[in-house]
Amino acid sequence: MKKVIEIKDLFKTYVDADIIVKAVNGVSLSFEEGEFAAIVGPSGSGKTTLLNMIGGLDKYTEGSIIIDGIDISQLSSKQMIDFRLNNIGFVFQAYNLIPVLTAKENAEFIMQLQHKSKKERQERIMELFEAVGISEKANVRPGKLSGGQQQRVAVARALASKPKFILADEPTANLDSKSTADLLDIMRKLNEEENITFIFSTHDQRVIDRAKRVITLEDGKIISDEVK
Amino acid sequence: MNFINIKIAWRSIWRNRLRSSVVLMAVAIGIFGGLASVGVMKGMIIDNVDNTLKTETSHIQIHDKKFVENNEVQFVINNTSELINEIKKSPNVIAVTSRTKVFGMASTASKGSGVMLNGIDTEVEKSVSIVSEMLVDTNSSWFDTNKKNRIVISKKLSKKLNAGIKSKIILTFQDYKGNLTGASFKVIGIYKTQNSMFDELNVFVNKKDINRILNLPENSSHEIAIMLNNYNDAKLIAKEFSDKYPDKLVETWYDLNPYIKMSADMIGFMLFIFMSIILLALGFAIVNTMLMVILERKKELGMIMAIGMNRRKVFSMIMWETILLSFTGAFVGIILSAIFTTYFGHNGIDISSVGEGFESAGYSSILYPVLHLLDYVQVVILVFITGIIASIFPSIRALKMKPAEAVKE
Repeated sequence: MKKVIEIKDLFKTYVDADIIVKAVNGVSLSFEEGEFAAIVGPSGSGKTTLLNMIGGLDKYTEGSIIIDGIDISQLSSKQMIDFRLNNIGFVFQAYNLIPVLTAKENAEFIMQLQHKSKKERQERIMELFEAVGISEKANVRPGKLSGGQQQRVAVARALASKPKFILADEPTANLDSKSTADLLDIMRKLNEEENITFIFSTHDQRVIDRAKRVITLEDGKIISDEVK
Repeated sequence: MNFINIKIAWRSIWRNRLRSSVVLMAVAIGIFGGLASVGVMKGMIIDNVDNTLKTETSHIQIHDKKFVENNEVQFVINNTSELINEIKKSPNVIAVTSRTKVFGMASTASKGSGVMLNGIDTEVEKSVSIVSEMLVDTNSSWFDTNKKNRIVISKKLSKKLNAGIKSKIILTFQDYKGNLTGASFKVIGIYKTQNSMFDELNVFVNKKDINRILNLPENSSHEIAIMLNNYNDAKLIAKEFSDKYPDKLVETWYDLNPYIKMSADMIGFMLFIFMSIILLALGFAIVNTMLMVILERKKELGMIMAIGMNRRKVFSMIMWETILLSFTGAFVGIILSAIFTTYFGHNGIDISSVGEGFESAGYSSILYPVLHLLDYVQVVILVFITGIIASIFPSIRALKMKPAEAVKE
């Protein structure tokens, strides 16, 4: 399988009250196309920091992250923004939809940033809404959707730009059991049927149970990397 | 081109309806207040300029060069008829008249007052001056009699001299040869212009009567008053006449009344200055509101930056929201101003109860606000600029956010 992400000797250190904190401490790992992986660990283990660095939202102190052959540390801030737009899909814990746009407009938003044509946008969004099962809510604003429905819109939005992989930071943290199960079903289906790569940061056992690979971090280090 | 930024910006204004309404009201009231005030002032100035030109200065005046020094009677313009005929040939001239002017004393049995006697060609004068249209007493007339020694005085002088219609007034002045002379005139008309100072000083008599009493040479006068198609051409035409008649003093309306010229010039600047001050104050309120907006939407802005909206687009989104917020308020303010100006521009605002001071300065006691399309365009441009400037600081604050931290807020 093709390697999508290759991380080598990654360090992230920062100073907090005169103490040097190693948030990520020499992490090396890679992700292949079609993975459904969960980065797990207790709070402060560095999983979100690692995810942010993979997503280019945070800079690392040492090491390298190569995405699809590109060393992201070499990208300027402007190039990084474009790179994120075209290569990485994000799903956040709190959904983070734009409340003044409808579900469809929210998902379409990222494609508008990519200057996709209206026809292409509409076809893609309808296809994605079908896949995540919220077609009937396309013209509803986020405020009138349940948490689970909002997160499904967020997944559709993340997929709309046809990214190389999806980074999902605690995507189920605000969802009830049924919504979590439904969302995981959808993501797993997209992973299996369309070979979409999902990388989660989570401490939700329900996500861990469904992941094909579980990477456990503790104090910024990988303590286990288990493929089920 | 997609308009997603503008769409988000517009809808975002209405997220917090109460707060946005307060800002919109402030902008609307500010714009309305500014435009209405400027409209009133502009109306006053235009009215004042118009009236001054039509009652006092006309557009161009020609005198003997020495006459203007002391207004002495002997410094006349000879061959007035020929001069007028030549002036009339200019395509820019619409009316010309000649006047005899002499300072004198007007007296009744009880009182006296210094006056400027204007000896006029009673019919032609109507084409240059509107004093004939400003008669106030129902028994007034504008020299529609061939009888000698008739006089039209102002209402103010009428009160001062205690002289009404049909009263006799004794005019005393120096004649052409420097001898003191005088004659009795019968009041046939009482006028009232907007300028009480002009009214108190000026009386009108038939030129034939006064020339006879003054013993002025045949076909001579002291003043040629000219009206043009466009008063803005006065300088150009005056230069032509000045070159053509080098022995005469040719003056434009703004040489004759620099204050009026200053007022006319101020019209253009007034709106700019007024609105700039108002928008500067409103700009701070808008900046404050937008800073609150940025703080409230930290998570959302973090998300859009994280998923790949570049800095230029983030800036443009905040800028559009600021501009649209300002514009919506400005639109309401402009509509209110347009209604105000249209209604009162037609019906007038009567300030006669407090307007006496205005009249002595030459302003009407009924104000007719005036605003032109260009004034509204100027305001729209200023609001647009304010919106852009007011969005800079909030945008910088937004762009300083770190997406990874902002999405977690």
